[in-house]
Amino acid sequence: MIESAEVKDRIREYVLEEFAKAKGINQITDSEVLTKNGVIDSMGIFRLVAFLEETFNVRIGDEEITHDNLESVDAIEKLVLAKSKK
Amino acid sequence: MAYILQQLLTKSAKAYPDKPAVWARGQSITYRELDERSNQVAHFLRQRGVQKGDRVGLFFPKCVESIVSMLGVLKAGGVYVPLDPQAPSDRIGYIIGNCGIRILITNAERRSALAAETVNTLDCCLLVEGDSNGSGMVAWSQLSQFPSSYAPEVTLVETDLAYILYTSGSTGRPKGVMLTHQNALTFVEWCAEEFHVRSDDKLSNHAPLHFDLSVFDVYNTLEAGATVYLITEDLALFPTSLSNFIEAQGITIWYSVPSALMLLLLHGRVTPQKLKSLRIILFAGEVFPMKYLRQLAEISTTSDLYNLYGPTETNVCTYYKVERDRLATLEKLPIGIACANTECFSVNPEGQLTKEGEAGELFVRGPSVTNGYWADPEKTKKMVVPNHFQEFFEEKMYRTGDIVTVGDDGNYYFQGRRDSQIKSRGYRIELGEIESALLSHPDVREACVLAVPDEVIGNRIRAVVAPHVPGSLGVLQLQQYCASRVPKYMIPELIDLCDELPKTSTGKIDRVKLASESVVAR
Repeated sequence: MIESAEVKDRIREYVLEEFAKAKGINQITDSEVLTKNGVIDSMGIFRLVAFLEETFNVRIGDEEITHDNLESVDAIEKLVLAKSKK
Repeated sequence: MAYILQQLLTKSAKAYPDKPAVWARGQSITYRELDERSNQVAHFLRQRGVQKGDRVGLFFPKCVESIVSMLGVLKAGGVYVPLDPQAPSDRIGYIIGNCGIRILITNAERRSALAAETVNTLDCCLLVEGDSNGSGMVAWSQLSQFPSSYAPEVTLVETDLAYILYTSGSTGRPKGVMLTHQNALTFVEWCAEEFHVRSDDKLSNHAPLHFDLSVFDVYNTLEAGATVYLITEDLALFPTSLSNFIEAQGITIWYSVPSALMLLLLHGRVTPQKLKSLRIILFAGEVFPMKYLRQLAEISTTSDLYNLYGPTETNVCTYYKVERDRLATLEKLPIGIACANTECFSVNPEGQLTKEGEAGELFVRGPSVTNGYWADPEKTKKMVVPNHFQEFFEEKMYRTGDIVTVGDDGNYYFQGRRDSQIKSRGYRIELGEIESALLSHPDVREACVLAVPDEVIGNRIRAVVAPHVPGSLGVLQLQQYCASRVPKYMIPELIDLCDELPKTSTGKIDRVKLASESVVAR
């Protein structure tokens, strides 16, 4: 079982290192909407999903790649935890 | 016949007052509301001193108020300038200064992202969202005190400016393409005829409003009394949400860059059922790979598919209606033939019309062609040139920089660029602008920016940089520096650092050698 805090840290770190920093954003909050300010673009979404699948050993279907599931670090954590319980 | 854009709204507001005109984020407004609210915006702007021809900036994420604001500015006799809400404040500050924007329609969050020296140049900010507790800020709710039943009286003619669209500039700063009411209406009227847009049509607006694809979505909707559905980032980035949206709303006309359609095909779980409502699919802005176009045609079996072509300076100037019976054998998608009221010709380097089979640069003449770039007579002179084929009077034509050939089928075929402009996700990017951004870093000695072809998004951007002191610069550091100067879609995804860039025998940076180096794209 993965610890909730660990999941969140790894997601935040990935989003920050992989997307945000390269776009001049050095800090993100867990509730920040990542799509609104352009942190993640349309191709980035799929890189993020690949990272989640690999890191947390979960399978995320195309129909689950939605704004509600991926809009913030909080939302992504919720999705990963729900998936890893199954 | 409408000769200024806002007349399209006036006409439809009379014919269809209670019909929804604009939908965004689950909300919609009727034609009557759009007409009344844009009147209020116009009166507000006039009260704040906006005169005919004054530029008003629009700087906030797409929403219903975007369209209200565009029409409000036009009704005040002004010229609207849509600004990329995700662009760095340095770039927005430059544009605001370049075209002399004194009034900005924005939201509290975007306003706070602007540099203080930019805010100081503004007379007033109208906020579509957020608190207006500061000097020089006016809340959207305060518009209710202005007259709604009529627009201010302003004398306008079709050659007056309607909007300015900023695109990437090769010398390091964006350039403002000036478009008149006539430029836009020439295109809108052609679209109305060719696509028979009707009042029961539901058009999607996928492109950002600072991108000229949106002109069709917005104004052909108003022309027909139809409804436009603004696709915001919560939908645009999620292909399955988008395909569900098309089905649920019953979208009938779609217009976007091909890469958006490709994402839909690759990840949107599209089925013939999901795309059943679409009767027309338009795409423009980049080359649509045949493989994906065939897939699209197989899933959307009854729609008419059109490849539209044209730079912002001419809007769409050629079009190709996809012939389904040729899809299996067609190797390359044509850009087609000239639109109505537009003439295109291909010219060789000697300035003569090309002969059969010869490649040449595409030139465009007609009422859709821009007068040039805002406050940049030098650049205007280079691109909007005298038409030397016209003997008896002076006339201008636009040189696109695109190299074309004419096929046996009579269609134009795009072959490439004569300069270093590229397309990525449909965005037009001057590699020189990114090079200028990198070179402005005090520690950078040399920089070369290259396009790495990519099947889905067209091109990825790669930079090769040599610092003054080897080892003194990091990739992330350079990306962050670019982020403060250029829009996000222009930040190099890949940056290679080296001690010195390879040179040709004449001492120039050897782009060919750099481009041939193997690149591992992510």
